[in-house]
Parts: sequence; C-alpha cells; structure tokens
Amino acid sequence: MNPLDELVDFKTGRQKRIIYSDPGIYEQEQEKIFGRCWLFLTHECQIKEPGDFVRTFMGEDEVLVVRQKEGDIKAFLNTCTHRGNRLCKADHGNSKKFICNYHGWSFGFDGKLNGVPLEKDAYKDQLDKSKFGLVEVAQIASYKGLVFATFDETAPSLEDYLGEMKWYLDIWLDAMPEGTELIGTAMKVELPVNWKLPVENVSGDGYHLGWAHAGAMTVSSSMSVGGLEVGNTSADNSGAVSVAGMNGHAVLAALDGQSGYGFYPDPTSAVDYLEKNRQTVIDRLGEYRGKKMWGSQINMTVFPNLQMLPGLNWFRVYHPKGPGKFEMWTWAMVDKQMPDELKQTILNNVSRTFGPAGLFDNDDGDNLQAITEQSRGWRTKQMDVYTNMAIGGEHSRDEMPGVVSEGLVCEQNQRYVYRRWLEMMKAKDWSEVPSYNSLEEARATEQGNG
Amino acid sequence: MGEQQASNEVYIALQRQLYQEARLLSSEQYDDWLAMVSENIHYAMEMPQRRFREDKGHRVPDKTPIFNDDMAALMMRIGRFKTGFVWSENPINSIRHIVSNVEVFEAELAGQYKVYSVIEVHRSRLDAERKRLTAGREDIWQQTATGYQLIKRNAVLDDGVVLDSNINFFF
Ligand code: FES
Ligand SMILES: [Fe+2]
Repeated sequence: MNPLDELVDFKTGRQKRIIYSDPGIYEQEQEKIFGRCWLFLTHECQIKEPGDFVRTFMGEDEVLVVRQKEGDIKAFLNTCTHRGNRLCKADHGNSKKFICNYHGWSFGFDGKLNGVPLEKDAYKDQLDKSKFGLVEVAQIASYKGLVFATFDETAPSLEDYLGEMKWYLDIWLDAMPEGTELIGTAMKVELPVNWKLPVENVSGDGYHLGWAHAGAMTVSSSMSVGGLEVGNTSADNSGAVSVAGMNGHAVLAALDGQSGYGFYPDPTSAVDYLEKNRQTVIDRLGEYRGKKMWGSQINMTVFPNLQMLPGLNWFRVYHPKGPGKFEMWTWAMVDKQMPDELKQTILNNVSRTFGPAGLFDNDDGDNLQAITEQSRGWRTKQMDVYTNMAIGGEHSRDEMPGVVSEGLVCEQNQRYVYRRWLEMMKAKDWSEVPSYNSLEEARATEQGNG
Repeated sequence: MGEQQASNEVYIALQRQLYQEARLLSSEQYDDWLAMVSENIHYAMEMPQRRFREDKGHRVPDKTPIFNDDMAALMMRIGRFKTGFVWSENPINSIRHIVSNVEVFEAELAGQYKVYSVIEVHRSRLDAERKRLTAGREDIWQQTATGYQLIKRNAVLDDGVVLDSNINFFF
C-alpha cells in the first residue's frame, strides 16, 4: 500500500492531522498539486491592454501575467534569468518592458531578453540573448473570462480539467450575455493557516455557518439561506444540494433563486436585478439553472485553490506560503451589465461580509488557525480529523451533473476534495490521475484504501 | 501648505477628543463611541496596492476598500459584537489604540475641522500572539452644541496584505 493512503480515507471521511503541518507533505503538494493542476491567474478584465500585467502566484512560484500585442496572454516566472532576482515588484500596472534592478537586463513584455548592459564591453558579444528569455508556463487558457495556467505540459486541456464543473461555473460566468468582471483590486490577508482548510471549508462546510457565524448571521440575515438557522438549532436540507465527484471541484447550492443576497441587510436592489433579468438567464441556461440556481446562495470550488460565491459575489484565490501559512486574495465579482449603483452596493457588501474586516470572514480565521496549530503537537498530530457526516447519501440527479447529496449541511464535498488531493499526491504523472464527473464514474475510479 | 491651522484651543480640544475616542475603542465602549459619531458618518478605510511610481493608475483604482460604512453598517458591526456569538473575542483580547501625529486644520465649512492622525493598534491575543497594525487617518470633525462629532474618516492601512486574521475592532 502506498504510504500516502494512510493520510486520507475517502470511504470513512477521515484525514490525518499531519497533512496540515508536515513540511514534507507540503513540499510534495507544491510539486504534485500546484506543479500540475490548472491554477487561476487572473480575470481577463484585469489586463485589457497590451502591456497590462498582474503579479501573482502559482503555488509558491511567482508569475507575471501579461497581455500581449496580439491580444493573447502570456505568463512568465517573475524571475530574472541572469542571477535570479525578482523581476517586477508591482502588484499590477502597464509596462512595455521589465528591467531587472540588479544588473539592468531588460525584457520585453513578450518575455524576450532585449537588452543587456555592457553586452559588447563585458560579454564580448558572446551572450546568446535568445536563450535567456523569461520562462513561460507550460499551458495557459481562459474559460469565460477566467485565465488559468499549468506548469505541466501533459495536463489535460482546461476544458477537460474543469469537466462538468463548467455547468455550474456558467451559472455565474455565462448567465448574462456580457459575462462578469472583477471590481478593482484584491483585498489581501495573510493567515497562519494551512491552505487546505479554507478550501475544504468553502467547498462543503455549511455545517459551521449557523454556529461559527452566528453573530454575523444574526445581524445581517434578511432571508433564509439554504434552510440554516442561527445557532444551528435546526437545518432544513430539502431546498439545497452539495455536489462533488467532479475531479475535486465542488458546489454547495441553495435552490431558491434569491438567497445569494440573503446576507444583505437590504437585498431589494439585487433581487430587483435578478427578477428583471431572470428570463434572459433562463433563455441562456435553461429553466432549472435560470430559475432555481441563478441568484441562489452557491459556493463553487475549482480544485485546488479557487473559490467563488455568486450572490455574496466574492471571488477568491489562496496562495500557499509554507505548511502553516497562506495568502488569501478576495475580489468582488459582478455581472458586467449590472447598474453601477448595484456594483457599488455589492462591493460594499463583499468588503463588509468577506473582506479583511468582513463580518463573516472574521469568524473563520481563528478556527482555521487553531486547527493548523492543533496538527503540530507530537501527540496531537497523531490524531485524525473527520468529515463523516451524511455518508451514504450520495446520489445522481437528472437535473444536474456530479455526485449529489441533500442540503448545505453535509460533508460529502470535503470527502471528495480530499479524495482528489490524495489522487493527485499519489499519481506519478497525469496519466495516473483518474477522471470522473458522475457517480458511476466516481465509483468506477475509486481506489481501494485502508 | 495652503491649509489654515486651527486655533490652539480647538487643537487641544480635538486632541483630547481623539485620545478619548482611542480609549473608548480600546475598551469596547461602543455606545459611548457612537455618541461622538455623526448620524451622517462616512467611515472608510482602504489598503494600498503596490504599483510603480510612474503608473498613474487610470485603469484600476490603486486602493482597495476594507471599510466603507455609513451609520447602519457601523451599527451592524457593533450589533455583531453585542450578540455574544463572536467566539474569537472570547476570552477578551487586549487591544490598545495609540494615536499620534495629530494635526488640526480649518475645514471648508465653518465649525468643521480636518484632523490628520496616525493610529497604531496593538493586539495581544492567544498565548504569545501579538499583532500591530498602523494606519494614517484623515477625519472631518464637526463642532456641535454637545461637543465634537466625527462626520468623516478616511483611513489608509499601511500594509498591502493584512497581517491579522480578523479586524474585530475600529481604527
Ligand atoms: S540578476 Fe537580473 S540582471 Fe543580474
Ligand atoms: Fe465561514
């Protein structure tokens, strides 16, 4: 048996605590997860003109994402090919060239090395500049405005990587004819937390909402969200679903068509917008998604580190910074066609609920930090943690793809996220990574373990 | 600078006000704090983005909002603290608001003053965990029959990445 099988048990919903603290496991994640998966880079709206760039991360690798002259997008390691200095220190901007601060090598925004000081006097014209351009990612592609890249040239196409998750992503990215945009720049927070904990939380943990966020829910709820109650006194799971089994991607969704705006003290303008445009969305996405899902409280997770909540309108990526640290970047994402006033209302609400001073976000950090710390002690880290709620409730539904369980309060999605984590960690290369998008496929590809 | 310094009397009164405000915020006396905040408050804080000096930033804003609150939003935040359900603030965390670099100028409207200050927030949390956040503030305070009232606060956090897991307090 592969020793990695000890770490996660999909069937019983068990994980070893050391996956949140062990430096060796973290090192392997860098190679096998962040070195292989398609990772979110930016939204196309953030780099519209040639030379527009953003500086971001793929795992711990720093990358520059730059709009090219012909309109395509390239991504380079943000590092000088001479002695390895960081090339660009700005978060974003527009630049026709990037000049290294150390010895002055100058790179075009297409990544080519154009200028080397003292090329003649010191290098005697012997430097082959064509060999020292910036290093590009292996593959880069967009899905409806979202730009992703991978370091692995053998990775499946982005379309295949996203699989049936696209059906859910479209509920936001393709609901309105003009698509989406991020407003402004990211709110950034560094947390002393293992990167997997916020991912598992947002992927499927509707359980913590009524308890961890009881204070925030008390003051900001204006309608019922997925049958949850403050204080977790009861939960009506009938009007919501947990969906996973799509190669690690996951969805939590209420099915009422409005509750995405349930944590707005006054959701009127947002709900007006929804009802005014609902027919358009039904025409584009069909009755089920248009009526029941568009506007609902939905959590979407694109494995490994991208999450978005239409309705609450936040869009978030996590950058690991060591086993016990990550940076969280949060934007407000809106439909381009929304009226400006509604966009402003949404931006305010995103910073008020899930920004660095967000009523909800400020409840999560300490819990996740504590779990990270409680995976370090010599005796404590030998323990397990569990996502064993509602095992056996998995089923298929004609209306939607993926593996479905009832309700927001259910730990199915976390089990599937960790299953994917294990599959990626065990595979020698992409040819060994199973692919599944339905219950039958998920069952057929299940790897037996302890 | 084109700005007109306030009289010494006003300067001292507003400095007192800021010290008192800092003490109220540090001791979570939010109702007393609200008494010195106008109904029409605009309470805002942003965080900076790193960009090149020559980049004038016409495409995207160079700051990101953290707070952009009116009175209803402030009341909502304070309401959350009062629910007793904010587990991260129980046990009580020690917090100090340190105010300095106070400057007071006449504002455009009579009876209003523009007040610059630097705020440093120290928090001591679980075990040896200690956080320190600093921000510059630009306020407008209004003289009223019952004392000075805060009508506008624009704070700018110094960090491009917030180094604390929550901001369960005010600047
Ligand atoms: S390290 Fe960049 S020019 Fe030398
Ligand atoms: Fe949460």
